[in-house]
Amino acid sequence: MNPRKLLRIARWEVTKNAGGVDRRTIVVGALALLAVGIATPYAATSGVAVDSGIYRVGITNESAYYDVVREDPTFAVRDPQADLGEEIELRIDRLAIDAAPTPKAAAAQTELRSSVRAYNNRQMRQESNQSAAFPVRVSLGYTERTQVREVISTGDGQDQTADDEGTGDGTDGGDGDGSGGGDEGGTGTDDGSGTDGNGNDGTAGGGGGENIDDVAGGTGGVGGIAGQLAGGNTSGTPADISPPFPFQSLVLAFLFVLPLNFIIQAYGSTMVSERLNRRGELLLVAPVSRFDIIGGKTLPYLTGAIGIAAVIAAALELPAVDPVSVGISVLAVTPIALLFLGATFLGAMFARSFKELTFVTVTVTVSLTTYAFVPAIFTDVGAVALISPLTIVVRNLQGQAIGLGEFAFSLVPPLLTAGVFFGLGAGIYREEDMFTQRSIPLKALDALAARVHGKWSVAAVTAILLPFVFVTELVGVAALFAIPDALSIPTMLVVVVVVEEFAKSLHVYAGYAHDRFEAGLWPAVVVGAFSGIGFFLGEKIMLLAQLVGLPSEVVEGLIATGTATGVPSIPIAIGFLLAPLALHVVTAAISAVGASRNRRAYLAAVVVAMAIHFAYNYTVVSIGGF
Amino acid sequence: MIEVRDLRKEYGGFTAVEGSTFSVDTGEVYGIIGPNGAGKTTTLKMLAGLLEPTAGDVSVAGHDAGTTEMRRKLGFLPEESPLYEEMTPLSYLHFFADLYDVADGVADRRIHDTLDELDLEHRDRQLGDMSKGMKRKVAIARSLINDPDVLIYDEPASGLDPLTTNYVIDFTSDLAEQGKTIVFSAHNLYHVESICDRIAIMNEGRVVAQGALEDLRAEHGETEYHVFTTVEVPGSVQENGRYRSVVDSMEGVERIRADAQAADGSVVDIRTEESSLEEVFLDLAESGATT
Repeated sequence: MNPRKLLRIARWEVTKNAGGVDRRTIVVGALALLAVGIATPYAATSGVAVDSGIYRVGITNESAYYDVVREDPTFAVRDPQADLGEEIELRIDRLAIDAAPTPKAAAAQTELRSSVRAYNNRQMRQESNQSAAFPVRVSLGYTERTQVREVISTGDGQDQTADDEGTGDGTDGGDGDGSGGGDEGGTGTDDGSGTDGNGNDGTAGGGGGENIDDVAGGTGGVGGIAGQLAGGNTSGTPADISPPFPFQSLVLAFLFVLPLNFIIQAYGSTMVSERLNRRGELLLVAPVSRFDIIGGKTLPYLTGAIGIAAVIAAALELPAVDPVSVGISVLAVTPIALLFLGATFLGAMFARSFKELTFVTVTVTVSLTTYAFVPAIFTDVGAVALISPLTIVVRNLQGQAIGLGEFAFSLVPPLLTAGVFFGLGAGIYREEDMFTQRSIPLKALDALAARVHGKWSVAAVTAILLPFVFVTELVGVAALFAIPDALSIPTMLVVVVVVEEFAKSLHVYAGYAHDRFEAGLWPAVVVGAFSGIGFFLGEKIMLLAQLVGLPSEVVEGLIATGTATGVPSIPIAIGFLLAPLALHVVTAAISAVGASRNRRAYLAAVVVAMAIHFAYNYTVVSIGGF
Repeated sequence: MIEVRDLRKEYGGFTAVEGSTFSVDTGEVYGIIGPNGAGKTTTLKMLAGLLEPTAGDVSVAGHDAGTTEMRRKLGFLPEESPLYEEMTPLSYLHFFADLYDVADGVADRRIHDTLDELDLEHRDRQLGDMSKGMKRKVAIARSLINDPDVLIYDEPASGLDPLTTNYVIDFTSDLAEQGKTIVFSAHNLYHVESICDRIAIMNEGRVVAQGALEDLRAEHGETEYHVFTTVEVPGSVQENGRYRSVVDSMEGVERIRADAQAADGSVVDIRTEESSLEEVFLDLAESGATT
């Protein structure tokens, strides 16, 4: 790969596309973006107030409800002598409320009740004696997270940190200026529970009245705009306290994944347009490698995706932008961006028209958005959310510490998968596949065969395909989850066997179809054995990587579950190690022998291999007592 | 300069090129002709390194086809060359000059010289707004951006109007005079006949005949002798007060001469007509030759 030429192609990709947009469009687009950039933070913090003044209330300032109505923008104050029903929905005479006999007036009454309750809560919070205002207090704590480095905060208490550099006005224990008798506020906790301080009488009087808000809000300490999105209920009465909905996680995940869906549209389009009408043929005959071309054409879109992620991350932290935090977010978004681009690239190489590209981009959008977005919403729920790198982003923006193991667990699989996508796509970035209506199965074989040049490469390709194997098996397991055990376990075993045996043999068959290997029984056995070894080693490496990412108690639990007695003995451990090795080598060799003959022999051989693999798995499961 | 040996290309079960062997000397213009589907374009793409041969060897300028070194010495013009229509000719050519590592100053001069020679104006206009002939000229200029030793042109005048076609053919002829080694295919056999030193005729994936035009005529063509006599002889037809007989050998001519003298007449004119390349090509194509 030649970096200079890669960058030249990247620059060309940008200028070429820029040449298709006239200056007026660029100016209009820039202005629109600017307007959105200005309006979004305002809308996020203030709301768009589409319901401003929709209910007209006839009221005088002598009424006790006057301040309630005046302070709620939903209501418009009108003359109480106005016609009820025509000009006003409600008429309030001191404490008496008359409503017009209309649905709108009924809605206005409901809104008024809510406004009164909120108004009363605000008034009570302003009471100097909080014990009198809230004689009964309930502390709620959400303790599943253990690595919070900033405690829950909203409003002006958002900067208070767990290590007690607090500057807030009483959040999480406050400063203890209360008049209710507490001589010092509670101390902020470092477990992220988000409850009020537990200091000496801090509950009663320490804290300047914001503690209750924090109890309900408790889902993270994000500053700036992100902090405004924290949601959470800020009422002071039990009736208004609700469990925290992961609104913040949802919005953050959405913000980061949304731009990628637009970027891949443009990227897929440019890749397919290279193929249609043979526009890319002249690049293939130029003295540049296909990796220069692919890298150069991908770089602008990757840079754009990363740049947008950086801007979003920085904007969410305004006004106090932490470059390290932004860097972490960008680092976590990069594998996702590569995954989106890699999948789109591979799909674009298979698509034979823009119509097929549409199917590809929709598939990529739906599947990868689901993969990245859904787990990140449940960032606060459990460790499994870490399968999506966006969870790292959300946690980072919520101020939680992220371990290196979690980083690797979250980022490495999508990175590897993206690499496989690009590698397979590069295999068919050539004249024969790009500019012909070659069938998709043949292209798939071409893509696999391009990476196969000998027995070592067979082992490497098998190992590289493992992320697909695991993802496919997970999908299979998820799909079969709901059916009864008696059916689901054998079916899952079949799914696992089919996926793994094809993963070990399909590229071997592709290699034989492209005359990559020597004919004969023994060469086929050797090639198959290398594929089996590659699978075994890759499987173990991935297993280790996953264990590293998991909490130690989980790993210990897995070991205990696997051996039933805790630590396995050496012979058993060796048996656990060698038995799968032998299985994979034998079954892969059988498939390879079939692949060396013809397609029919390959299919027959792979079925035999699957049968052996199934028998092995079924035996292991039976012995394990599952 | 170009060596091709036992070249074969298969697409699945279909053999597009089978056993082609030929060589092209430095400075030679080598034409490949044949009916549609004969394997001309596939052969040219294997020469350019775009397609990997199923079997056989291709060497261009001393390098295996497809290597970076070979590509540096090659200028390729495909039959269809859709350009990046958002770009201008200058930005397009400068981009390829960068890919070929042509220094900026050299590229600038070469681009303007070539476009001057090709008589291309409107160099700042987007390619999408240009006529087909103008686009073809830009494509030709692109094939010359690296001052290549070898040019592989697939139907360089395909789809162009007669005026532009002649311009392109004359330009290609000029390139040959500058010492470029050129391999090109064309459906217009007149163009091939006019500028090629040697010609290969392909049919059904095979080279069925190749050599200099004279050699092809001698081997595969026909020579007709039109003999005009003052008297009627067997097989003659009257034409403008004379009698014309057509024979395909000198023995036939002598026989007519004897017949005319026997009838107290004489031979007044003999004209020779040789087969054109088109006739040679049609004869080979119609005979289904697949040597």
